[in-house]
Amino acid sequence: MDYVIETTNLTKCFGALTAVNKLNLKVQKNTIHGFLGPNGAGKTTTIKILVGLLRPSEGSVKVLGQEVQVDNADSRLGIGFMPELPKFPKHLKGAELLDIYGRMFGMTKEQRAQQIPRLIDLVGLKGRENDLVGKYSKGMQQRIGIAQALLNNPELVILDEPSIGLDPVGMVEVRELVKTISKEGITVFLSSHLLFEVEQICDHVTIINKGSVLASDTLQNVSGMISESPMIHIELVDLTNEIIAAVKKLPFVTGTWKTGATLIIQVNTREDARSKVSKEVTGAGGVIIGMSQKTSNLEDAFIQLVTKDQGGKAQ
Amino acid sequence: MTSIRVHPSWFTRFWAIVRYQMLWNIRKKMFIAALIIAFALATVNLAVPAFLKIGQNPYFAVTFSAGNLTFFLFAIVTSMNSISGEYESGTIVPLLTKPVSRTMVFVGKLFAGFIVILVSYIVIFSYSTIGGIIVYGPQNNLYLVPLTLLGDIVSTFIWAAIVLAAASISKNSLLSLITALGVLIALLIGVSVVGQLSDNPGIVNGVNYLPGTGATGTMNVTLGHSVTVANVTINPATSISTGTDSIGANIVKAILFPNASVLFYHTNAFSPTLAPNLLYTEPISLIALRAIGVAFLYIAVFLLIAWFAFKKSQILE
Repeated sequence: MDYVIETTNLTKCFGALTAVNKLNLKVQKNTIHGFLGPNGAGKTTTIKILVGLLRPSEGSVKVLGQEVQVDNADSRLGIGFMPELPKFPKHLKGAELLDIYGRMFGMTKEQRAQQIPRLIDLVGLKGRENDLVGKYSKGMQQRIGIAQALLNNPELVILDEPSIGLDPVGMVEVRELVKTISKEGITVFLSSHLLFEVEQICDHVTIINKGSVLASDTLQNVSGMISESPMIHIELVDLTNEIIAAVKKLPFVTGTWKTGATLIIQVNTREDARSKVSKEVTGAGGVIIGMSQKTSNLEDAFIQLVTKDQGGKAQ
Repeated sequence: MTSIRVHPSWFTRFWAIVRYQMLWNIRKKMFIAALIIAFALATVNLAVPAFLKIGQNPYFAVTFSAGNLTFFLFAIVTSMNSISGEYESGTIVPLLTKPVSRTMVFVGKLFAGFIVILVSYIVIFSYSTIGGIIVYGPQNNLYLVPLTLLGDIVSTFIWAAIVLAAASISKNSLLSLITALGVLIALLIGVSVVGQLSDNPGIVNGVNYLPGTGATGTMNVTLGHSVTVANVTINPATSISTGTDSIGANIVKAILFPNASVLFYHTNAFSPTLAPNLLYTEPISLIALRAIGVAFLYIAVFLLIAWFAFKKSQILE
């Protein structure tokens, strides 16, 4: 099988802290691969190793078949990378920035003249390309970030939280853009906190926590990794231990998870159990704002896998 | 989508870095300020002798130097945040994820600084030379002016290397500025104290091995090179500094007066009426060559430190 990213026992330590711990990651060619994990899971550290910004403490990394090393500049020829909340030199104009980066990729004058206006148009910066980057809004910086990541027609695009800083319309545009570039045969490796975003555009997913892979497979397989039992999400004004204890007493409840004031309940029945759950919650003094029952999806898989890994399993 | 990937040559990528850094350098407000200050100093240099009623001086242009304040300013402008500013602003991340090596980035930024200093000095020296001709009449040995200019660039690069080393290690522009300023002030005070107090030839000569002004001596020049205008006799080459800040001026003096020597005296600061005590004498050519050697040694050492720190740094930002 063709892998564009392949790490073997990748480890990165910062003093006593192990940010990435024997990570084995494989990303297939021509896929949109979502890279998920809670804050501090090691996603950005892994990405920085993949693009040659950090040296691994142990293990090996291959990207596009080449061993990645900090000073192996050629290993970055086929990669387009957009960092999380990208920052670009404020003294350059948008088009100037792309022109200089294009020169670093060895693009000819003709290639730059063709590619730069196309990308500026694609990311919605037409008319602003001659403004200094320092005058760009956060969303515009994000857009120029995407443009520079696509500048060299890369084989692999690595996007670290591409939707951060964008308005809802911009977020939809980014999703469409990712789908478009994937259709052109470019592999996309995308790190995101937005599970619905990953669910909408990715066909493969890797979930990591504490620097190690918890699950890595197709989106469908990862979503189905956990029990297919339905989950009930209850949004409450205040989630107390009494409410959790009351819900746990219900015979069909097999697990509970708490995320803020929302209680997620796993049930072993296919029947609509919401009325029974509602009665119990109200009886324990809870005020329900909203409640929904759904079969497991990526979000459920993510929460369950991460919670289990953190030793928090069922409450 | 058609493939546009080619294997770019080293020079293509290097020149892209040079463009990137040059645009940054010349668009800094600090650069404009440094240019204004350098022009102001050159103007003072032109005006003061005229104010002292020295109407003609055929050696004005050839003995003009941008001066150590200008060296320091241009070193700061081109080096203070060329590396550390990338870390501080986060722009190091998109830069180093392009197919450019860190060595290429480092050398490219350095070369961009060289070009910006070279062009700035050409403008300042042209202004001074033309001004010298207008104010002090026809100038001798103008073909030597580019040598002074190159010497001034070498003098500037010592400070640039110190600033770069501090910036690459600390990744903090302000800290690098404070470090360089501290070194400059410490050397100015230290050299001045040594010059005033020490009558040990080894110690006095030792300051020539530090960056900066070095020891001050009196040049035993051929009398024919002095100029007397309106009852005022001047010899612009008589009192000279022998450190790395005077490389350009001293090369020119060594060419103009190849057999001249520099005498180093000690004046007792507590009994100024006593005759100065001659400590030692050195040929001007030796002084110029030594300053060049010391300068290149410092430049090499500090640039190596800066390069090593940059190459080994990890991007945690």
